[in-house]
Parts: sequence; C-alpha cells; structure tokens
Amino acid sequence: MAEVRAARRARRAAARADRRLRARAALDRLSLWLPAPLGYSAAALAAVKVFGIGPATQRTLLGIAIVLAGLTVGAALLALLRRPPRWAGALALDQHHGLSDRVTIALSLLELPPGELTDFSAAAIEDGLAVVDRLDARRAVPVPIPREFAWSLLLATALGVCAWFEVRLTRVLPPPPSFEPVVMAADDLDLFGDIARRLAEKSGDPASLAAIRRFNTLIEDIAARRLERREAFERLSDLEAELAKSAEIDREARELGLEGLARELGRSGLAKNAAQALEQKRLADAAKALRDLAERLKRKTQAPSRAELDRLRSAVERASRVSSERLAAIEQRRRELSEEKQSLLKRKSAEAPNDKTEGNLAENQRKLERLDRDKERAERAAREISDLDRQLAQAAQDLAKETSAGAEDIRRSAEELEKVEKRELGEKEKRELLERLREMKELLRQQGQGGKERQRQMARFGQRARGGGSGEGEGESQSGSQKGGAGPGQIGRIEQVQVPRITRVPGAGSGAGDPASGNGDAKGQGEAASGREAGRGHDEHMAGDPTALKGETHDVTAAAPDTGQGAASAEVIHGAAERGFVGKAYRDVYVDYHTVAEQALEHDQIPPGYRFYVRRYFQLIRPRE
Amino acid sequence: MTSSDNARREVEEFQKKVGTLREEIGRVIVGNREVIDGVLSCMLAGSHALLEGVPGLGKTLLVRTLSSALGLEFKRIQFTPDLMPADIIGTVVLDEAADGKHVFEFRRGPVFANVVLADEINRATPKTQSALLEAMQEHRVTVGRTTHTIEEPYFVLATQNPLEMEGTYPLPEAQLDRFFFKLEVPFPSREELHTILERTTSDEETELRPVISRAEMLGMQALVRRVPAARHVRDFAIRVLQATHPNGEGAPASVKRFVRTGASPRGVQAMLLAAKVRALFDGRFAAAIDDVKASARPALRHRILLSFEGEAEGVRPDTLIDEILQLTASAKD
Repeated sequence: MAEVRAARRARRAAARADRRLRARAALDRLSLWLPAPLGYSAAALAAVKVFGIGPATQRTLLGIAIVLAGLTVGAALLALLRRPPRWAGALALDQHHGLSDRVTIALSLLELPPGELTDFSAAAIEDGLAVVDRLDARRAVPVPIPREFAWSLLLATALGVCAWFEVRLTRVLPPPPSFEPVVMAADDLDLFGDIARRLAEKSGDPASLAAIRRFNTLIEDIAARRLERREAFERLSDLEAELAKSAEIDREARELGLEGLARELGRSGLAKNAAQALEQKRLADAAKALRDLAERLKRKTQAPSRAELDRLRSAVERASRVSSERLAAIEQRRRELSEEKQSLLKRKSAEAPNDKTEGNLAENQRKLERLDRDKERAERAAREISDLDRQLAQAAQDLAKETSAGAEDIRRSAEELEKVEKRELGEKEKRELLERLREMKELLRQQGQGGKERQRQMARFGQRARGGGSGEGEGESQSGSQKGGAGPGQIGRIEQVQVPRITRVPGAGSGAGDPASGNGDAKGQGEAASGREAGRGHDEHMAGDPTALKGETHDVTAAAPDTGQGAASAEVIHGAAERGFVGKAYRDVYVDYHTVAEQALEHDQIPPGYRFYVRRYFQLIRPRE
Repeated sequence: MTSSDNARREVEEFQKKVGTLREEIGRVIVGNREVIDGVLSCMLAGSHALLEGVPGLGKTLLVRTLSSALGLEFKRIQFTPDLMPADIIGTVVLDEAADGKHVFEFRRGPVFANVVLADEINRATPKTQSALLEAMQEHRVTVGRTTHTIEEPYFVLATQNPLEMEGTYPLPEAQLDRFFFKLEVPFPSREELHTILERTTSDEETELRPVISRAEMLGMQALVRRVPAARHVRDFAIRVLQATHPNGEGAPASVKRFVRTGASPRGVQAMLLAAKVRALFDGRFAAAIDDVKASARPALRHRILLSFEGEAEGVRPDTLIDEILQLTASAKD
C-alpha cells in the first residue's frame, strides 16, 4: 500500500515537472517570438507618426501587427500544450536530485506487467520510490525568465516611447475652398443691362423673352457677386448653346419653307407682289401684299378674271403643298437609297470584297445621311409654316367655290405670315442676344486674365467715361500740341483701331477755326492744352497694354455730309476725352462712327478675332447717360 | 526475505568482491582507476578489452595483476610480425604413443587459458591477429576437423601501441568489433609516478593472492545479466548508437562529415552491459542513462570508422562521441 502511495506521489511529482517543462518551453518560445510583433509595431507606429501614413495603410499595418501577435501567442500556446517527451519530468527530477534515474526507472518498471518483474526490478522500484519524498518539481524544473525577454522589454519600451511621443508634422493643407465671385466692371454691367433691356422691349416672342430674362438674371447675379467664375461661364455656355441651337436651325428651316411658297405663289400674277416680297424675305411686305390681294378679291370692281383666279387657286394650292411634297420627295428618295443600300450589301456578302462595291456603299451612306439632314430641315420648315400652309390650303379650296370666302382665307394667310415675321424678329433678337453673350464671355475671359489691376483700370475708365473726373493721371498727349482738325463739320480719321488701347485721334484737336461757323483750318494751330506737338504717349490709366495684333491696321474714313452746324466731330471727341462720353453731340458722332464701323464689319473681310475688339472699342466709348 | 532483499544482498556481495579485487589490484597498479574499472567491466560482461597506450605505461602489468588476483589461468602471447596463427591457437604434431604407435596430437596454443594477454597485438600481421577471432567470439578453436572449447571464463586482454608508431598493423574492423572496450591508458600523473618509483625501485616485492575464484567470477557475470535496463535507458543507448552513423537519426553534422561507418550493434550491447556493470559497481539495481553515457566512449571509440576527411583532419572518435552524447536528449518520444 505504501508502495502504491509512493508511486502515486512519484507520478504526481513527475507530472508537475512535466507541466513546468511545458511552461518553460512556452516562455522560451514567447521570448523568441515576441520581439517580432513588438519590433514591428514600434517601427510601424514610428512610421505612422513620422510620415503621416494614411488610414488605409494604417489599417494594413495594424493587421500585420495583429497577425504577428497572433502567431506569437499561437506559438507560445502550442509549446504550452505540447506534451513533453515521456519521462522528461521524471528524468528532470532524477537529474536535479542526483538520483541516477532511480525515479524514472521505478516509474518505468512499474508499467511492466507483474509477471515480467524480476527481483532486481522489484528492488529497483523500491529503490526509486524510497526517494519520492525528496522530490521537488519546482526546484528540479525552474521556470526562469528567459534572457531573450530583454529584447522584448527593450522593444516594448521603444513602442511605449513611440506611442507617448507626439511627432508634430507640418502638413501643407489644401487651402479651404474660397468663394471668388466673378467681377465685371460696373460700366460693362450697365452696358449688358441696357442691351438686355432694349432686347426685351423689342421682343414679342415668348422664347426670346425667356432667354433675355435668363440673361438679365445672369447679369444681376454677376453684379451682386453671387457667381463664381466657373458657374458664370457654365451658365453663359448653357444659354449660348440653347440660343445657338434654336435660332440658327429655325431660321434656316423657315427660309427654306418660305422660298418654296414664294416660288409657287410667283406662278400667279395676282400673288406676284407677295411672292417677290417673300423671295426677298420682306415678310411684312408680303403680308401687306396678301392683304391687298384679299381686298381686291372682295371688291366687285376690278375683280380678277376667272382665269386669273384659277391660276391663283392653283398657285395657292401648290404653295400649300410645298412642304408636304418636299417631304414626300425626300422620303421617296430615301426609300430608293435604302433599297439600293440593301442591294449593295447583298452583293457585298455574295461577292468577294472589291473597292467598287465598298465605294458605292460609302457614297450611298453619305447620300442617306444628307437626306436625313434634309428631311429634318424640311420637317422643321413644315412645322414653322404649318399654319400658313393650312390657311393657304383652305384658301385654295374656298377660291374654287366662292370668291369672298377665299379672300377671307388669304387675309388670314397674311395674318399667319405676320406671325411668322414676328417669330423671325424674335429670332433676330435671339441672334443678337447670342452675339452679346459671346462678347460677354470673351470679356469675362479677358478680365480674368488681366487680374485685379485690369478691373481697377476698367473701373476708373468707366468713371471717366461717365464724366466723373479725369482720374488719377493725365496722358502725355494732354500736354502735347495737337495738330489741327480736319475742318469744320468733317468727320475725323479713326486710326489705330485697337482695343483696349484707346488712342487719341490725331487731327481731332479743336483747331483755331471757329466751330460755330465751321470754318476750321484743316491744319489748325489749335492748342488743345499747352503743347505744340502731337502727343506721343497715352494715358496709362485709360488703356491697357497694346494688343499685339499681327494684322495691319488701316484707316477707315467715314464721310458725312457737312451740315455746317454744331461743333466739329474732332472737337466733340476731344471734349469727350476731357469730360466723358456724355452729351448729345457725342452721341451723334458716336452713332455716325459706329454705323460706319458696323458696315465695315459687315461688308469687309475682317478676321473674327478683330471684330470683337472693334465692337469692344465701341462699347467702351459708347455714350453714357 | 523478499526477492528484492535477495537482490540487495547479491548486489552488496558483488560490490564487496569488486572492492576486494580493486584493493588487490591497487597494491600493484598505481592509479588508472578508470582503466581498471574498464577491464573489470569487460571481464564481468564476459568479453574482451583492448588497451592502447605507449610502451611502459603498465598495460601488461595490469593484465598480469588482474589474472593473478582472479586466480585464473593466465597466458601471455607476445605478438611479433613473424608470429603465426598456429603459434597462438596451437598445432597438430605427430607423436609417438606409449605403445609405439605414431598419432597426431593437438598441442594447445596459448589461447587456451582463462586470461590471455595479447601483448602488442598490432605488431602481428592481420592474418595472425584474425586467428583470435573465433576464440574471442565463440570461446572455442577449430583446428582441422576438430573444435576445441576454451574453458570459461575466458578473457582476451590485448594491448597495442598507438598506430602512429612504426611496425604496427592496424587491427581489422571485424577484430576490433570483438573487443568489448577499447581503453586508453593515460600517462601517469606526477604523484602516481612517485608511487610507481617507490614501488618499483625498492626491494619490496608485492605478493598477489587470488581474491576471486573462477566460480565467483562466473556468478558475478551472471548477476550482471540480471540487472534490468528500463526502456528509456535502452532507447537512449540505441539513439546514441544511431547517431554514430552518418545517415543515422540524430547524427550531428560532424558525424556526417567525418565518419565513414558508425558503430555496429555490438556497440550498443557493450554500452548496455557496461551500464549494468556500472550500476552494480554503484550498488544500484538497474542501469541508468548516466551509466550508458559513461560507457559510451570505451564501447564506441574503436567501432567508429573515420572517413578520409576525418583521418586527415585528425578527428578523434572521443570528440564525436562527446558531441553525440551532448546532443542526444535523455527523453524522446
């Protein structure tokens, strides 16, 4: 019995030693692995703090750290749970107590079947169990803190330091989004406001009025500085795109429809006047001619002959069918081309590919596309004058039956034509508005490039243009002696038409002549100010840098009848430079000059880029109220 | 009296006899306790020992002393290059009988004794060295058609000079493997030399008396075989043996590099038997791992054959064995 108890105690001691061996192995494993996650974490934390690594990368780094920590814990747990070799604990006890394996041998022999035990085995077991009371697993298998933990401690300290220290980084943050409103000179705002007002007064077309209202709102927003540059350009572009789309296409379509009408109505002698007016796009005259025709048809006297009426009815009937016939012809041609295309495609699939078939197919495709465009235009034309066509068709029917009803129908046709004219007028306004929009866009673009200095210059210019004083400085020309004017009542020469440089007009001096009498000397010895020579400079506050235009400038001479009344143009212009662009005399001169310039722009070959500057120049020197 | 008590008594008697024997030997041999224990282990394990050392270290004296103390028949064979096998095992001679007839008679050689001292065994040719093979392994000698049994106990205690010396022939591997232990006889220390001088240069003569009989020796040999070895001890010895082979499990890098062939299974038998003897020397009832470790060097050093590289590098088998013992875990699943 004592032997059994001793054996149990020996086994317990061996098991304790086993557990301690496992704990020691786990600690050893931990001490070897722990530096990896700690070192990595310290390095990663330092990198995050020093380099300001982003959240996504931070998450990745954290993930790696967690994986490393997990592996370390896993390795330690594995060592803790792994059974040591058989008798390792007992052998450790024997070794520590110097027992020459007595305990291990005893425990080992105890596992043998009793039959296999010899007297020596029994003695060995007794010998081993006799020392059980001396066994001390704690001393036999100490679990010391491994030296390698020093590294872990060092790295843990480094990690703590990294976590504790805050690295202040100078990070350049993007500037906060600022609202920089687009700025336009008050003078220009007035200009575009006036334009919008004038167009609104003229326009009767609701679509045009709506566009003008949007334009007006845009100007108000710019004036109130509610728009950013980008938004302003977006709205301008939207408006421009809308106007450009409708105005041009509708005009083309309407002209196409009216051409057909004119051609057919011209076949009748009674409607010849109306046809000519339509052909020349004088819609008001055409409407009046139709009204006259209706009156004539109503009147009993000078009534047209039956043959004339028949021709008229025939012409009116054909005119009413122009649009539909054109559409039918286009459709017919499209069908033919489509069939031809199918045939070509079949041939192409049947035969070996050759250049001729390919070419035919390509040409066929082009024709089809052109026809599609023609069809669209014809349909638009038909829509534009659909009411007129309907009225003419009705007139043709009534003319065949009764004269008075037909006359009434023709009168209604005249009314329809007047409506078409109104629409055309509305579209003219649209086109003009479109022009102004483009000017405004270019102006905003240039002002954006010029910066604030340019804006200040424009503000001073606007002030002076309104007669608000000479501003801060006078140009050199103010002190120069100017040459004499061209003579009384003559229009001076416009030279150096460049914007924004505003040049003095040589020869526009007041001269010595009597302005009232208009007998000014062409080479007057006027002393406009104090100098005797022509100015060689300009007022830097009134003009920006010279525009580097590659094209040559040329003089434009505008002649006007010499009425012999009022101040000479040169005098007026000079006065305007002194006092601002105000007054009736200046307005008259301006209108003359502007008209000539517009005519030149319309008839002469002037590059589009120059046109803007010419118009801009006249905008700037326009008369102010 | 229980069986364990009986075992205790037997072990005590064993220790007592060994103590007496040591004491008697100690009267002649100075120091060399390890060598003496090694030779005793061989004798108690019923096997043979090879003693290596430069001339004059008392190898022959040790063997003679031992045989005298054991009271066994002792024969000495001085191996020389011209020694023939028949000189060792005996020869058949034509003899005249009493009746005048001539008969062939076998004249026993010196190998027929309880203790045979093969002095300077490596001075003879391998052919003559091999003549001892059957006697050492089987304890019998076959001459012609007749096999002659050698009386038990039978021990061959061979001495050899280091191989570097001139006029020596290395023992064949098979011959070497028959030796239980190879014991290296160290040079005596200064104190030991003093004692040697005192004993050998005076007129004092030491008379040795047999302290253990032949029967007792056989009993002690039987007792050794009864000592158990637990499985983990056997397992350890086996793992040590495996580690001596370049391709064996647990072989260290040095073994893989410098060893041509590891120890044979006789090596592990020798280790375990020696461990049992050592346990009995200590008065224990079972062999322990420490006993195996203690017997590993003499049991394995002559069984490990070095490669050419090992020979060239001057690697000593003892170094390799120490490394193996260091790397072999006491316990393993």
